[in-house]
Amino acid sequence: MSNKMHIQLNVNGEAHEFLAEPRELLIYALRERLNITGPHVGCDTSHCGACTVTLDGKSVKACTMFVAQANGAEITTIEGIGSPDALHVLQESFREHHGLQCGFCTPGMITRAVKLLEENPTPTEEEVRFGMAGNICRCTGYQNIVKSILAAANEMNAQPSSSEAVGHNKVEAAE
Amino acid sequence: MLQGGMGIAIDRGFAALLRFECSHSHTNEKRGPAWGAAKDREAAMTLHRPESLEDALALLAGDAPRVLAGGTDLYPALQDGPAPAALLDITRIKGLCGITRMDDGWRIGATTRWSDICAADLPPCFDGLKQAGAEVGSIQIQNAGTIAGNICNASPAADGVPPLLVLDAIVELAGAGGVRHLPLADFILGPRRTALRDAEIVTALMVPDRAGQGAFLKLGARRYLVISMAMVAARVAMDGGKIADLAVAVGACGPVAARLPELEAVLTGCALADVADIVEGIPLPQIAPIDDVRASATYREEAACGLIVRAITQAAQASEQSHVA
Repeated sequence: MSNKMHIQLNVNGEAHEFLAEPRELLIYALRERLNITGPHVGCDTSHCGACTVTLDGKSVKACTMFVAQANGAEITTIEGIGSPDALHVLQESFREHHGLQCGFCTPGMITRAVKLLEENPTPTEEEVRFGMAGNICRCTGYQNIVKSILAAANEMNAQPSSSEAVGHNKVEAAE
Repeated sequence: MLQGGMGIAIDRGFAALLRFECSHSHTNEKRGPAWGAAKDREAAMTLHRPESLEDALALLAGDAPRVLAGGTDLYPALQDGPAPAALLDITRIKGLCGITRMDDGWRIGATTRWSDICAADLPPCFDGLKQAGAEVGSIQIQNAGTIAGNICNASPAADGVPPLLVLDAIVELAGAGGVRHLPLADFILGPRRTALRDAEIVTALMVPDRAGQGAFLKLGARRYLVISMAMVAARVAMDGGKIADLAVAVGACGPVAARLPELEAVLTGCALADVADIVEGIPLPQIAPIDDVRASATYREEAACGLIVRAITQAAQASEQSHVA
């Protein structure tokens, strides 16, 4: 007897439709069905955050969620953030500040950090550490990860795309 | 709500189990070469996703599925065990999610997520609940984990329980026999044990209007992502420099989180400066911790008393500041 469920997902702007076993986890649907392998399987128990994706605007762990529960959702993975030719500010910042060692946690780190800076564009170091607490780096390279995120926040706030930041900079320039 | 799986060594079991075709546990073997056996493949897990409470209750009365909401406790708890024959996902049920203002209090729907509670516009007595919400796992967990899941999981270290106790929260339950209400203290019976009956689910937590300012403090081995060694929630209303109304609860210091009625009675009418001495001098039978991997009983007991004084002080000071403002 098949009790497969009909699933529709929008991943990184692309629509997907398929039948899945009820027990299929979101992370495996992404990695093995859709070949979106940026989200990693680290611990399988929602501790490590390597599988972090953005689901309907919120950071979640794709390893502890059935794909059926994500039916109809919009999902962003690291593949939807920047491109090899045009890195996202956070990706560039991780490169610049050595925010990775082995790199296994990095897709989850950056996917989470993008949301963190949307939620709080001017975080303190404490707020970065708090907001990234669900992402574990087993190389323990936290210092540079935090540094990368803070530097990216500065960079993004200095860019003309943020009208508030532009206003702020103009005031400073006038002074 | 990582209490369920946090202390257990990281294990690839359950997800692998879901992914491969293994579901029946006719033996106690953890994992074996029989994963893909055809006989196991026949026993597929069913995932119900009803949109109405009536449908959910009918399904519960049928093949008795396990209830799934955020899954943050359920998935890790399944570990290497068998996949359940059926799960009932209640997160699509209309009216079960969200916070509503009622005539005499607040109704927090069962599937309201911790991040929704932290972001909600609620009176200061809820500040302890919000502070606890921000300590539940990490942001990703708070985006998935639900308030009812936290109480139904009935971990002695559930972050949500002490702040709900000081708010006098009442659990709303629905089953075939209709709706009933239980004070939270009567709902959680012991570690992993609740008063939930067969084919019954929690539909909401009702919080009556309460005075004062809430606070929550948790002690763990590190700042983030830990299971508490001890935690304290307080709700304090000050009047003329004295404690006018007080509720205190401790968690992770006994089989269930508990209010401290003797202490509440003694401290009411006292000045804030006297709190520390009184807490030190009064026997608190509710604080009866165990030794475990996270802390010794003696350490927990001392830490809990320190947290009680700090939580009351923090709430009282915030309460007085908001009066000035």
